[in-house]
Amino acid sequence: MNMMLKKQFYENTATESKLPDADGIRQTVGEPFLENSRISCREIDVFYGQKAAINKVSLDIGSNEVIAMIGPSGCGKSTFLRCLNRMNDTIDSCRVTGSILLDGEDINRTDVDVVLLRARVGMVFQKPNPFPKSIWENVAYGPKIHGLAPKKNDLDEIVETSLRRAGLWDEVKDRLDELGIGLSGGQQQRLCIARTIAVSPEVILMDEPCSALDPIATAKIEDLISGLREKFTIIIVTHSMQQASRISQRTAYFHLGNLVEVSTTRQLFTNPRHQLTEDYITGRFG
Amino acid sequence: MTEKKKYNLHSVTDRVHSGLSRRYRAEKCFRRFGVCAIGLSLFFLVILFADIMHKGLPAFLQTQIKLAVFFDPELLPLENLETADFNALLKSSCRALFPGVKGRRSKKSLYKLVSDGAAYELRKQVLRNHKLIGTTQDLWLIADDELDMLMKGNIARNPTGRFNQQQLYWIEKLEQDGRLRRRFNLTFFTSGDSRDPELSGILGALSGTVLTLLITLMFSFPIGIGAAIYLEEFLKKGRFSDFLEVNINNLAAVPSIIFGLLGLGIFINFFGLPRSAPLVGGLVLTLMTLPTIIISSRAAIKAVPPSIREAALGLGASPVQVVFHHVLPLALPGMLTGTIIGMARALGETAPLLMIGMVAFIVDIPKSFNSAATVLPVQIYLWADSPERAFTERTSAAIIVLLVFLVLMNASAVYLRRKFERRW
Repeated sequence: MNMMLKKQFYENTATESKLPDADGIRQTVGEPFLENSRISCREIDVFYGQKAAINKVSLDIGSNEVIAMIGPSGCGKSTFLRCLNRMNDTIDSCRVTGSILLDGEDINRTDVDVVLLRARVGMVFQKPNPFPKSIWENVAYGPKIHGLAPKKNDLDEIVETSLRRAGLWDEVKDRLDELGIGLSGGQQQRLCIARTIAVSPEVILMDEPCSALDPIATAKIEDLISGLREKFTIIIVTHSMQQASRISQRTAYFHLGNLVEVSTTRQLFTNPRHQLTEDYITGRFG
Repeated sequence: MTEKKKYNLHSVTDRVHSGLSRRYRAEKCFRRFGVCAIGLSLFFLVILFADIMHKGLPAFLQTQIKLAVFFDPELLPLENLETADFNALLKSSCRALFPGVKGRRSKKSLYKLVSDGAAYELRKQVLRNHKLIGTTQDLWLIADDELDMLMKGNIARNPTGRFNQQQLYWIEKLEQDGRLRRRFNLTFFTSGDSRDPELSGILGALSGTVLTLLITLMFSFPIGIGAAIYLEEFLKKGRFSDFLEVNINNLAAVPSIIFGLLGLGIFINFFGLPRSAPLVGGLVLTLMTLPTIIISSRAAIKAVPPSIREAALGLGASPVQVVFHHVLPLALPGMLTGTIIGMARALGETAPLLMIGMVAFIVDIPKSFNSAATVLPVQIYLWADSPERAFTERTSAAIIVLLVFLVLMNASAVYLRRKFERRW
């Protein structure tokens, strides 16, 4: 009962005056900035029509780290994720301002080639969404359209290494020409991960990749993510705080479109610096 | 407290229970209504088919008459066979059947038993084989349509009707001699229209329909699908797209004769394309089918799950690649269904073709997109308008041909849809 009331309180105050605790929320606490960052976002605002989805988010993401985004539903963490490969472009009413530097280049400018950007920043979605084609074609599609493998042998090699890296090779090597949708949910999601890493992106965005999976499939994907960290920068949105604490080095907590706190994962879960973070991770709301 | 709760629970069950029978009654009522509706439509369908079959099937048989033809060398001079008087040859063969017939009127009524087309048949045979000249051959020749009707029982066998006493006697005699038979009516499938029912066929209208629909398909499928893809995938949603959508929906409901007027104004009067041509007919029907195809194709594109689009975009596919690699293959079955529905509508259309002169008596079988042609529904209309008894059964036969054509088209649509359909 108490929790419900509190949640209601936060939501009410948020709608009445967009910034309930102006300085307290807008000023991200913790360590959002890094010395050597791969991606650095500054003052990102996202609007859907007139409605602001995220306010002035500034955050650095380092190389070869797994950073987790947590927060209650509708807090803007997925919206933020989709800014990083310009997937928000597909929504007509969506407007993104601010600068997002990927290796020093602003990717939020209109003259940036989104096709190239999305080859560099891959994405894995919440629901496994393999193409209704064969397993082989699913993995080979990305390299094929980008012309990464001139010969079919190279393509076969890419498919095999990607599937191996996604931990799926042994399960599907005998049926590469079967439909990708014939696999189980967990296998499908790993197929989607294999499809993403086949393009060799620098950054992989994952939007709640395990939310539709059972615990065993989730464990496999978590292992996979830890292994992938050596080669890729991974930004993962998750609803599970346990998952965030298991796989990430840093964690960012979003609340109503604001980035409240960014700390090392251990620090954030053991010793949160912001009251809202503490309320969320102790389960008082959310 | 507990007692109150119990009481409440009890009353809830009671209330639900008291309402149950009413709910079940409503359900039963609705089911009965559905069964009645389906039963009624099936009943009318059966009546329709039975009527058409009953009237039309006899047209696939044609009465033939056996004549002993003496290819008289005097009538058939070898040097100009092409222009020889084959009618006279036919008449003399008729007289040979009943040598006792005297007088112009009697002779004339005797000749009337055989179709005028029989003379063409004799000419064809002689031109193919000159050796026939000078010999006597027993030939099965096509009978007149009225004799055909009499044999099929559509005309009463009494002298007050279309036949006089003498003719009825001859017919009886011919039957006794085994000189009358009924065979498959090949003429119906191999010739064009004619003033003589027994010589008229469906092939002209059928090939006109095929040519017209080919043009319609060739234009409306790519244009319709291209428009649907652009509207759905590339055009920014806004006032302009809303405006277009409203107008396309309106166009789908415009009476087809108006498209005919448009075709007359643009294709014939402005561009100077030939009248009565399948090319113009096809273009007019294209205008008419386009809205149907665009609307159903857009619905098919909308039904493709957005997750597939996101997956492809997320991999770095360009919008065109997303459309052609992922959206189009998944939407194709729906697009095909819409196209076939549009084509089926075009197949049965008469009104717009009135305006561009495809309602005409055309004997020749159209060979090109420019030659004068007519189409099946127009042929049905023309025959239904003719006074001869034999055209009545031909009308129904033409309807059967049209329905078979329609069923074949729909079957191919179902086949294509099954072939392209994929799960996701």
